Amino acid sequence: MIEFINVCKNYSSGTHALNNVSLSVDKGEFVFIVGASGAGKSTFLKLIMHEEEATSGEIIVNGKKLSNMKRRQVPYLRRHMGIVFQDFRLIDKMNVFDNVAFAMRAIGAKQSTIKKRVPYILDLVGLKNKAKSRPSELSGGEQQRVSLARALVNNPEIIIADEPTGNIDPEMSYEIIELLNEINSQGTTILVVTHEHDLVRHFHKRVIELDRGRVVGDSAADDDVTEEDLLVRHEDLLLDESLK
Amino acid sequence: MGISGFGYLIKEGVKNVWNNRIMSIASVCVLISCLVLTGSAVLLSMNVARVVESVGDSNETTVYLKDDVSNVEAAYIGRDLEKLSNVSTVEFYSKEDAFKEYEDVLGEEIFANLQGDDNPLPDAYHISMVDLSKYAQTVSQITAIDGVDSVSNRSEIAERLTSINNLVTTVSLWIILALTVISLFIVSNTIRMTMYSRRFEISIMKSVGATNSFVRIPFVIEGMLMGLISAVLSTGLLYFLYNGIMEVITNIIPITPIPIQNVIAIVAGAFVIAGMLIGALGGFISIRKYLKKEGNEILGW
Repeated sequence: MIEFINVCKNYSSGTHALNNVSLSVDKGEFVFIVGASGAGKSTFLKLIMHEEEATSGEIIVNGKKLSNMKRRQVPYLRRHMGIVFQDFRLIDKMNVFDNVAFAMRAIGAKQSTIKKRVPYILDLVGLKNKAKSRPSELSGGEQQRVSLARALVNNPEIIIADEPTGNIDPEMSYEIIELLNEINSQGTTILVVTHEHDLVRHFHKRVIELDRGRVVGDSAADDDVTEEDLLVRHEDLLLDESLK
Repeated sequence: MGISGFGYLIKEGVKNVWNNRIMSIASVCVLISCLVLTGSAVLLSMNVARVVESVGDSNETTVYLKDDVSNVEAAYIGRDLEKLSNVSTVEFYSKEDAFKEYEDVLGEEIFANLQGDDNPLPDAYHISMVDLSKYAQTVSQITAIDGVDSVSNRSEIAERLTSINNLVTTVSLWIILALTVISLFIVSNTIRMTMYSRRFEISIMKSVGATNSFVRIPFVIEGMLMGLISAVLSTGLLYFLYNGIMEVITNIIPITPIPIQNVIAIVAGAFVIAGMLIGALGGFISIRKYLKKEGNEILGW
């Protein structure tokens, strides 16, 4: 689904955001991407969405090489992805229904399709009764669910969530990840960038750890391991890193 | 994209105009003044051209023949004159006709002894020209014809009128050009402001995979709508303005202006086309910058 082969990304400011990153995410996987700020997490996502181009190396998304992708093909690449932002990015002058419908209208969906699809998705994220509400009338957790509904509405193969729990209560955070987990069980690939280690430990998913532009850890999903094990594994990783 | 998709885009364009109405009104006002000024310049030029034409028509040029030319020779000269490409009408004006005219004006007694063979006036032709700007050239062709004595000197009036006409046309063209640039600037700036206020939506549209043309269309429609509104208002304004001004002018100078009813349909059509074109172009120009940006760049973060 997503493959990085020796990818480097340097910005014109001189920052080396990613340094020789190679990894692959299969279809249907659920992956957490962790790392301190400045580790290259945002760059990693921008490269997948083709908001930035790699300085060297190759990125393959959904079987397409991004290095030789033409500008006018980029919108069609993005239709395979649903993006969830830390700050929700909801339009406050539209109600919840229209915020979700907006993503469908933007790609020219028919009104009749929109009328059927949006209520279904709102039901899926548990906001059936809030369709007429304005985003500002909702709690942070609810707003993030609207954002998630918008990401889901065009039936993407990949959900990319950039710090989806950064602006909401810890309790709500678990709900959001749980929701993503359910979506994942339907076969959608999920990438979640976060720095909340508690959350990562709780869900026993694959964890890719970035540090200063490099992959410093990549632990496979393990549904049998206990939280204790993961904690130990994580501390080992950090120890390894500091020894290097 | 289906019909419903396009209907949505048009609705968004209309919404843009409404949500940003203060700036929209400002742009429409600027567009109206540009269109009305342009229309006035064109109508003025058309009226001057018409006056030049009517003066050219009434100002027949007289071609005097030599004294010793016989009637047959005179008829041949008449045919030669007709052959010239810039000569539209040729009318024989005999010495008897001329004599009569003098007699009518000045009284019979003075000319009592000058009738018949004693008539000192020459035979002549009254001709009119198609294009007065070729006056000098045509005159030299006429004087080259055997038996032609002289040509009445009307070149000064012709030249002056022609140069006025040319000046008015040139000035009008410059006014139109300058006003087009100004309109484009104002319209694209207004649309840029709408775009700024909607940058958040643009960034979301791009993140979910909207094509550039889809993002662009509402803004192009916004410009076209402002152009259309301006065109309609300008047509009405020009109609009343023209009638008022022409009433004042015709009281001072006895000319018959072009009736506005004859040209208002063309003016309206030209206004609609020009207004919508400028609007669409303004939309195109202003969104280009945004379409090149990605993600948070659009939001200016």
